[in-house]
Amino acid sequence: MGTKEKAAPKRVTRRGVTAKRPVGRRAQNKAAIRKRIVTAALSLFQTKGFDATTTKAIARKAGIAEGTVFNYFRTKEDIALHFFEQEVDQAIASVRDNPRLRKAPLEEKLFALVHSQLEFLAPYEKFIGAAFIHALKPASPLGIFSHRAQELRHRYVGFVQELLDESLPKNQYSALSFLAPEVFWIYYLGALLFWLHDSSPGKQHTLAFLDRSLAIGVSVLKQGKR
Amino acid sequence: MSSQKDTTTGRALRMASMGAGIAGSYVGYLLQRAFLGEAKGKIKLKSTHMRAARRMADEMQALRGPAMKLGQMLSLQTGVLPDEILAELATLQMEAPGMHPSLVRVQIKGSLGREPEEIFKQFTAEPFAAASLGQVHHAITREGHRVAVKIQYPGIRRAIENDFRLFRTFAMPAQASGHIPKSAIDEIEKQIIAETDYQREADNIDFFAERLAPLSFVKVPRVFREYSSDKVLTMSLMTGRHLEDFLAQRPSQKLRNQLGAHLFELFYFQLLKIEALHADPHWGNYLFNDDAGISLVDFGCVKYLSSETVTYLRSVFLYPGASDSADFRRLLETYYERAGEKLLPAARRALLGFVDNFYRKVYPPKPEKNQLFDFGDATILRDFLRESKNLVRTMGVLTEFIFIGRTEMGLYQTLHRLRARVPTSQIVRKYL
Repeated sequence: MGTKEKAAPKRVTRRGVTAKRPVGRRAQNKAAIRKRIVTAALSLFQTKGFDATTTKAIARKAGIAEGTVFNYFRTKEDIALHFFEQEVDQAIASVRDNPRLRKAPLEEKLFALVHSQLEFLAPYEKFIGAAFIHALKPASPLGIFSHRAQELRHRYVGFVQELLDESLPKNQYSALSFLAPEVFWIYYLGALLFWLHDSSPGKQHTLAFLDRSLAIGVSVLKQGKR
Repeated sequence: MSSQKDTTTGRALRMASMGAGIAGSYVGYLLQRAFLGEAKGKIKLKSTHMRAARRMADEMQALRGPAMKLGQMLSLQTGVLPDEILAELATLQMEAPGMHPSLVRVQIKGSLGREPEEIFKQFTAEPFAAASLGQVHHAITREGHRVAVKIQYPGIRRAIENDFRLFRTFAMPAQASGHIPKSAIDEIEKQIIAETDYQREADNIDFFAERLAPLSFVKVPRVFREYSSDKVLTMSLMTGRHLEDFLAQRPSQKLRNQLGAHLFELFYFQLLKIEALHADPHWGNYLFNDDAGISLVDFGCVKYLSSETVTYLRSVFLYPGASDSADFRRLLETYYERAGEKLLPAARRALLGFVDNFYRKVYPPKPEKNQLFDFGDATILRDFLRESKNLVRTMGVLTEFIFIGRTEMGLYQTLHRLRARVPTSQIVRKYL
């Protein structure tokens, strides 16, 4: 299990690089339309609710034909998943591309990662709350058991592994550190739930929760490696 | 001990063990005192205090924020804690664990709407000082002003409430033995909660800047409201050195006397003229300059006094008659009545003891011309602590006086460290 997952991040890294290659006008156009569809869909998910939103309504809101939507996404679930992929990718990039963070302690890197995810999700909080429930249904395409969601999780877990590898000495692996990236994924879902239910102004309690729990988690991890 | 910290059993657990640790040792002391002779009991008391003090300083340092603040507060809380503990806790005052730059960035952006680099011309990612509820960073504004930016740790208010809930529970034995009275804990909690509002602190700064203007030797920062919120406070950077650094320069007796007189005058000017007190007297909040000027930096803890209290203080300060006279007794009783409390005989005796054993020594009612009091004498701190402890035990302390007493203790501690000689009564008389 461990080796399979470790292969995943490398693939991702390469994919990340391809995305940055200079793109032609045609591709630019396509990206712009894709973005328009996603923005329109999210605003509807947020206001009308995920279930009540149709692809027709999304097309109308985006100002394109419904058929065009299908050229980009098969279903509205695909749009939502695309959004979550963006969430994870931009968060990974924000940590990876920040030279100061590369030298920061592990807890700060993990904080920056999770916070960047939450910041990305913040404008669509209502929708995220609904999606969270959806994701727990085993048959849902949004669900954590769907193929694409699994792939996304691997990418995320792979990056966390990368952060652990560069922050903690290699020769001191323990059962705890092998499990840590997977545990972190669950931690992230927990943090997301905490954030969704946090009614404090500016989500101050979430910040405190992240800071303290990560400090504790990292110190437990370091201790486990002794 | 350190290994225990690394496993991080969690904030609550640590606080709990700390509470149990301190309370435990007091309970142990109370039990042992019952079985040991008087002399032995005294020695035992000292070592119990030392152990409790070490433990408290260690544990509080490991905790972030509120507990730290509580430690600082208690460290200057007159009569609440024995002097050995005070000495140990005093070491806490300038150190607090901090927020990492990513969290600082998030706090600033969340509070002021933009990244620190967008707001300031320059912002130093590493803090230069720890404020107990947050930390302070150097920055330069777009207009080129050098400023100190105080940033609050997130969720601090709830953390304070939690800490106090735990502290109350675990400090039960200490409360029962009279070491930590309940009213003191209440008042401190109220004050610490108030300190979490930086907007209020900004108002305090403006208030003091205006009212302290007649004292040319005092400098108060300027608030930059456009760079401030309830969680971020931007102030002009103050000059001067902390007490330790100031003393390390080996200032002359003359300079120390001047500075002492200034500190002393600042205290009584606040108390009697502006009826409000910069009540967080720990040494980190005062910066000393070579021209005997004083820069004030932290205005989170300000105590506004009622006019009855100030009138009362005027009437009893430097009271010329005998302390056991009927007139003096009436002054005390009237004030307590107005405050809705009855002055019990034990409390009255303790108050009179305070007057005779401390105040009349330090503040002679009829001083000779240019009579100086030498604060280098260590007995003064002990006298003050002993007398206030007596008073606290009789439950004779009005909450109004908790912060006055605390600030007063801070003043004497600082004057003692300065070994300053001060014309005490003369200065007080100026403002009566």
